[in-house]
Amino acid sequence: MIKIFINPGEFSRFADIIFKPLLIVSILALFFGLIFALYLSPDDYQQGSTVRIMYVHVPSAWLAILTFFIMTIYSIVALAFKIPFGFIVNSAVAPIGATFTFICLFTGSLWGKPMWGTWWVWDARLTSVAVLFIIYLIIIFFRRSFSNIDVGEKITAIFIIVSSINLPIIKFSVDWWNTLHQPASISKFSSPSIDSSFMMPLITMTISFTCVGLLIAIIRIKGEILDRKDKI
Amino acid sequence: MLLANNLSFKRGRKEIFQEMSISLPPKKIIHLKGRNGIGKTTFIKVLVNMLFPTTGEIYWNGKNIKKNLYEFFANLTYIMDIQTSKSELTVNENIRFWMKLFSSNIKSKQLEGIFDLLSLDKYKNTQVNFLSKGEIRKLELFRLVIEQKKLWILDEPYVGLDESTYELINGTFRNHIENNGMIFFSSHHRPELQNMDTINLENYANN
Amino acid sequence: MQTINSILAIFYKECKIAFRIFYDVLTIILFFLLGIFIFVFSVGPNKEIFSQIGVGIIWALLLLSTNLSIKRFYQDDYNDGNIFLLHMSGLSFELIVLIKLIALWFFFQLPFIIVIPIACLILGIGTEDIYLILITFFLGSPVLTSLASISGSMNLLNNKNFAVGSVIIMVLSIPLIIFSTGIINAPPELIKPQLGILGGILLFFLALTPWVSAGCIKIALKYN
Repeated sequence: MIKIFINPGEFSRFADIIFKPLLIVSILALFFGLIFALYLSPDDYQQGSTVRIMYVHVPSAWLAILTFFIMTIYSIVALAFKIPFGFIVNSAVAPIGATFTFICLFTGSLWGKPMWGTWWVWDARLTSVAVLFIIYLIIIFFRRSFSNIDVGEKITAIFIIVSSINLPIIKFSVDWWNTLHQPASISKFSSPSIDSSFMMPLITMTISFTCVGLLIAIIRIKGEILDRKDKI
Repeated sequence: MLLANNLSFKRGRKEIFQEMSISLPPKKIIHLKGRNGIGKTTFIKVLVNMLFPTTGEIYWNGKNIKKNLYEFFANLTYIMDIQTSKSELTVNENIRFWMKLFSSNIKSKQLEGIFDLLSLDKYKNTQVNFLSKGEIRKLELFRLVIEQKKLWILDEPYVGLDESTYELINGTFRNHIENNGMIFFSSHHRPELQNMDTINLENYANN
Repeated sequence: MQTINSILAIFYKECKIAFRIFYDVLTIILFFLLGIFIFVFSVGPNKEIFSQIGVGIIWALLLLSTNLSIKRFYQDDYNDGNIFLLHMSGLSFELIVLIKLIALWFFFQLPFIIVIPIACLILGIGTEDIYLILITFFLGSPVLTSLASISGSMNLLNNKNFAVGSVIIMVLSIPLIIFSTGIINAPPELIKPQLGILGGILLFFLALTPWVSAGCIKIALKYN
């Protein structure tokens, strides 16, 4: 079981099995999620129709963090147990995380214009997510600044681990600094501060985003594996 | 006694050397030769545990050096092919630093004698970056005397040395193996020394 | 006993080298002062503004000055094989990193203790705040040195992209900067907890840096 996550061959086989179901789930979830989000869910009494941006904004933020978390774990595993599959995952997944972070920033900015009256505020959460985006970019090109790609991968893995100290800052920035950004809506599972009519599309969209992210990750990881086989 | 079993080393996908075994008992010298770029320096780096062999183990006095690294280092003087003396410091300061670093109990009178022999005495208070290549190399070889270890591993010790120093080094080598020492060095020269084996790395290289 | 001797010898050597190249340290301090002047020129001579943003300027410039000392950390010692020489004398890489940290903090951060009060006076920061800034400096500057160590050891084999070292320091310094500048504007009852957090960051980095830097040095030695 654990081999699926650390062995390239096993991973490829497992990926082939789950690829089609995942594709179907993600299409279905995206379809229903968009219907929920765009037509069925009500307007917010304060924010009006712009609240629908949330259905893209929140899932991409969640995926941006999740991707970094996965990369951190794979870096630790790759360095500690000398499993090169971790490096493959890191280099395959980093651009995905960067893209989701960018989507998150972009939609947040779109949302901010009607709500706060400005595209951008120097609020703690916004700034720390922007920093996360920069970290992703560093991770993507840091590997290539070494002439020996093995060194680049290892050093980048160390950098990922060290820079994961910024994750809690992103998570808690809204609680620590009382600024414009609203506190996270679904962090408290016991009593979400969000109505169930908003909750439903949000969950569907999150599922669909996660599935799409997984699909892209699988394609990229398999490509990376083939790429390395070519070189050997 | 230094023992290496079936050492092979890969850099990337390129096999540098394969299945190389050496044994270096006391009172013996091993001379490593081979053309440029064949991997002499790499082999020496593997031997001192700076690089790790792909296969094979190295033993010092019957103990694997991976597990007893500091015990091995306590008996090893390794002269690199590059300048390890600090250019900002003077010759004397460099030597004092090495003496303290390796807790050497060499007498200052002895030091003076070596300064004389190597004709470095007039540069004692000169910064190293004003010295010539050969003089820097001589300063490097000073560590052999300061550290007073059993096993000497030298990477190209003869580069840039003049005739008299060349002889002096050979004399030092003879002296060292008479005192139960062991020497491993790489060079393109083949000095006249007793108890010396020559290993040609080209026989183990994979090309 | 031999270890202590070796450590003292390395300290002595670092001191000697630092004194030989003291103009390097001096230049970094000049950079710091000049940075403040540049800020004054670019923002305009309004005292009100400076007493508000002065702390931020000081910390940002401290961070930038730290960037200038990255190369001093391991690059020279790595290129001339001295790191391995120290290792052969019986010191682990972690210990070497720790020694380097202390020595370089002494030479590249401690001199700012003289310059920071001057900078505060120029920027019109109140006397009580100067004390606070100095305390945060004492807690924060070892973190800056640790970051320089981490970034310096990561970039030992980096021969294509020289700016990335500075970027890494800046990215990792964000928690430090948040808390060290936040203290000045914090209400009095929050100062102590904030100092506690800063101390926590300091301990965290002191614990982390030897492992991370030693790991990077080992990787760099393995692939040189």
